[in-house]
Amino acid sequence: MTEPGRSSIDDIIDVYKRDVDVSLIVENLKRSVEERLERLTAFQSFIEEMRVARTSSDR
Amino acid sequence: MTQFAALLRALSEAGVEYIVIGGVAASIHGSVRSTLDVDIVYRRTPENIRRLVLALTPHHPYLRGAPPGLPFRWDEATIQRGLNFALTTDLGDLDTLGEIVGGGGYDALLATTEVVHAFDLDCRLLRLDRLIEVKRAAGRPKDFEAIAELELILARRRSSAS
Repeated sequence: MTEPGRSSIDDIIDVYKRDVDVSLIVENLKRSVEERLERLTAFQSFIEEMRVARTSSDR
Repeated sequence: MTQFAALLRALSEAGVEYIVIGGVAASIHGSVRSTLDVDIVYRRTPENIRRLVLALTPHHPYLRGAPPGLPFRWDEATIQRGLNFALTTDLGDLDTLGEIVGGGGYDALLATTEVVHAFDLDCRLLRLDRLIEVKRAAGRPKDFEAIAELELILARRRSSAS
């Protein structure tokens, strides 16, 4: 049952919190803003390359 | 692929008044979730709209997902008569938003922003607590996981500050 002052959305978000990998957050918070954005770009680049590779292997 | 820093640089160097929101703001705040585009709220003054046009025109903005060849023009009239534009550009995907649910426009959000310095530019983004509020206001189930993560980051930040 939802506690007073809270909504069912709060309860749902609490369920999601159980699955958040806090250790990843802790490591990420040690990085600078530039490092965080560079990791985003690097991840995108990796995914792009993998998609191209997968498309090539389908041919 | 979205060149996050290059997109922000293009906007900043043209003097565009904007606030970074969405996944990039979340990443800057420490989120480990990935995002594919840059979301900004731009100030809807005639001068700023002109700067926004000049900033993006060299990068060939076009309506993301629209069929090629439409008579879309990235100009002041288009922006003044519209509000929010999901764009694809040579530098990657960019959502230019005049207003957001639960937050309003640039001027309404400005008091709850902060400026970070990275890549030799000053980047204004929505504060973490406000980012959570607007994501909650949007009420999209796809955001629940992101909200959960951001609330944990905020809790860590507050506990380390106290």
